[in-house]
Amino acid sequence: MATQLTPKDFATATPSWWCPGCGDFGVLAALKQACAELELQPKDVAFISGIGCSGKISGYLHSYAFHGVHGRALPTATAVKLANRDLTVIVAGGDGDGYAIGAGHFLHAVRRNPNMTYIIMDNQTYGLTKGQSSPTSMLGYLSGTSPSGNPDAPLNGLAVALAAGGTFLARAFSSEPKAMVEMIVEAVRHPGFAIVEVMSPCVTFNKVNTYKWFKENVYHLSDIEGYDATNRARAFEVLMQHGKIPLGVFYRETRPTFDELTLKDSAPIATLDIESVDLALAEIQEAYV
Amino acid sequence: MIVNDIEVLFGGQAGDGSLTTGDFIATAFKRMGLDVYTFKDFPSRIRGGHTNYVIRAGERPHYGLADYVDAMIAFDLECVEKHVDEMRPGGFVIFDSTSEQLTDAVRRPDVRYYEVPLAKIAKEDLGLELVRNTISLGVIAQLIGMDPAIVRGLVTKQYERKGDKVVSQNIGAIEAGENYVKEHFKDAPSGYGLQARPDVDRLIMMGNDAIGYGALAAGCRFMAGYPITPATDILEWMAKHAPKYGGVVIQAEDELAAINMIIGAAYAGARAMTATSGPGQALMTEGVGLAGVTETPIVIVECARAGPSTGMPTKTEQSNLNHLIFSGHGEIPRVVLAPGSVEESFYLTVSAFNLAEKYQVPVFIISEQALCQSKETTPKLDMAAVTVDRGKLHRNGALTFGEYKRYEFTEDGVSPRAIPGTEGGMHLVPGSEHNDMGVITEDARNRVKIMDKRMHKLVSMRPDLPKAIVHGDRSAGLVFIGYGSNRGPITETQDRLAAAGIASRFLQLRTLWPFPEDEVRDFLKFAHHIFVVENNMTGQVERLVRYVTGPLPNMHRVLKYSGRPFRPIEIIEAVLKVVPHDNGAVPERSSVKSVEMERSNSAEMERSSLLDRAK
Repeated sequence: MATQLTPKDFATATPSWWCPGCGDFGVLAALKQACAELELQPKDVAFISGIGCSGKISGYLHSYAFHGVHGRALPTATAVKLANRDLTVIVAGGDGDGYAIGAGHFLHAVRRNPNMTYIIMDNQTYGLTKGQSSPTSMLGYLSGTSPSGNPDAPLNGLAVALAAGGTFLARAFSSEPKAMVEMIVEAVRHPGFAIVEVMSPCVTFNKVNTYKWFKENVYHLSDIEGYDATNRARAFEVLMQHGKIPLGVFYRETRPTFDELTLKDSAPIATLDIESVDLALAEIQEAYV
Repeated sequence: MIVNDIEVLFGGQAGDGSLTTGDFIATAFKRMGLDVYTFKDFPSRIRGGHTNYVIRAGERPHYGLADYVDAMIAFDLECVEKHVDEMRPGGFVIFDSTSEQLTDAVRRPDVRYYEVPLAKIAKEDLGLELVRNTISLGVIAQLIGMDPAIVRGLVTKQYERKGDKVVSQNIGAIEAGENYVKEHFKDAPSGYGLQARPDVDRLIMMGNDAIGYGALAAGCRFMAGYPITPATDILEWMAKHAPKYGGVVIQAEDELAAINMIIGAAYAGARAMTATSGPGQALMTEGVGLAGVTETPIVIVECARAGPSTGMPTKTEQSNLNHLIFSGHGEIPRVVLAPGSVEESFYLTVSAFNLAEKYQVPVFIISEQALCQSKETTPKLDMAAVTVDRGKLHRNGALTFGEYKRYEFTEDGVSPRAIPGTEGGMHLVPGSEHNDMGVITEDARNRVKIMDKRMHKLVSMRPDLPKAIVHGDRSAGLVFIGYGSNRGPITETQDRLAAAGIASRFLQLRTLWPFPEDEVRDFLKFAHHIFVVENNMTGQVERLVRYVTGPLPNMHRVLKYSGRPFRPIEIIEAVLKVVPHDNGAVPERSSVKSVEMERSNSAEMERSSLLDRAK
């Protein structure tokens, strides 16, 4: 039996490329903690990431990691899960990766409901290209590409996901590690596509949505008396409200996962013996005689 | 009378059953022991618009289209108007005269016309409009002497799922067609006849089905794709068959998703494939680069159609080769294979998967509408000849973490591959440049070293790449170069030139990238006249040849980019323009004698080499 691991066992030797104080450090720490609490083994974790500051996280978690192209982490991860359903598949990416270039894939991953976890590290800017506006930047956000203020309304990703059939929707804040670990643990255990959006401030380029700003502008679903995370309409209502940013698990439901629907009871595809060619395949030719 | 050599064209409006009827007669010809090639010429719409289906049948394997259409079954006047000029003098037209009449403009003195009120017979005599097409089968069967037992047997098989009543209705329709000919055209023979030959251990299969089948046999258990003509058949074929063997097939939201899905599945250890056509391939370009730099083995089938942009979605072309070879930013090792027949489509697909895994590269299979959606008679496919070589895939036992290097520098450039779930093999696979451990780095020395490692695979894979096939007279100075569906028209051209005393050689390329420089150089050593035959405007293969040879004064491009495949006469005329010869000496049909020679010699040789390649 493998021994239970600690968060340190999920660290890699690779030094981080993030700026000091970046919100992504908190996400990484929470992820390692969650992996340990979930009693996962690094060999059984497939960690898929996109491109951007957030995408670099796959280099820092001791696991099987795949750092693909911009916006395509979800299709890659969906296929990893289908090819080997025994793996714990975790995806990470930023607001640009998930809500801009990868928005199409995001919607379809939500529809499919594969049994995996998606962590969106939202810093409301394009950090790695030096601070341009992102799909979640606030209206009027000033940046190199929006010198007169960002004209695009910010995308409400979790509300979109709820409309598309999301089965687990949560939002955390990078400097509230305990709650974030709990949400990630619950997300990984959720049988279906679990989304955890993490407010992860960019200390270098986003001078608006700072740690201080978040502390003043967030509240917790636990503060709402009798909030019921199985009530879809209520979740919508809360997600669509203007004003302060709610944190917590908005919604959860169980419906058949993509892997269950497509794989039925079959063994993990990656473990199939394909080297001994099945001569019974010849029978297919009977339809062509 | 012309025996066992006929090209039949069924035509009407899309959705009215020409394709089904054409499939039916193609199978009937096959059961009568003939060699068959079919070509679908349909519009990019579901209902309405002229569509036609051409069936070529005879006694020579590997056909393309003939010079002319021998027999036309026209369900409307538009079909006759569009195709009467393609008729061979002495050919015949069966025309549904129920609601339209033949006009003087479409009447040719050298063509026979059989006017049969097909729809009227169906409705009034048989009380079932649906059987109109089946009546037309009875008409042509009677006119050219098809075996009535085979025709009835096929009707029974086709409709037995729908019950006895439907079977007897359709057999009644066949009889009605036959009787109409007996009663009305007793004194007007068609000039064509058929004689049954043995039909042993043969299939009639579409190119796309052979690719799906080859993939399944090769162990492909994961396919993702986005529907696109003319590649969708492969996705549907796999969706039908792969789950029975533990596989899964996903209809992706777009081609970007499809290629990243197969990369994910291959990374996780499955054999994975996608199939697309030009516009989808354009979207997949990004993913091909990712597969190249991460050394993830994937197979991409490109069923080429006429571009650019949306182009002509249902028409054939060979204009996407440059894209497969050169597309993408940066430089990666890749392979492009080109089958020239349905049989090759099966075996080369097996080779594609073995090459992909052995060298950890993206491998393209390039087919084209005139091959992938065409049916051909082909010898039964041999599962015992299929072998699966997974290369340096680590399968058993634990690795030692810290020692295992995913991108280890090796002599052949191929590194050991550990899949997720393997104890001790944890590593990062990045699309960013990385060192041998998979750690992202922009170090200058490492960059050169690892680029060299990846690209060296193009050299080390050379012995495993499918060889070109040389058809014809090994000592001839007149040579052809081509690939894909042009195998049929070029080899037929060769037969007919040979009958007129003109010997020729044909290099049928099957690996297009890495370009087989040595094979091409050797082949051209004693060439006097070089004809590069391809379906595009700019001579994409000719340019590749020129990279190897430099400019050659005796190299000629034979190009066609109308969206339709070559008819042999077009190649023959191109040759005779350069090689002066009495045009009349080239026979209209390939001689049966040379057919027999090909059967006994080159076809057998080639078959055994195909089997070797699949290993």
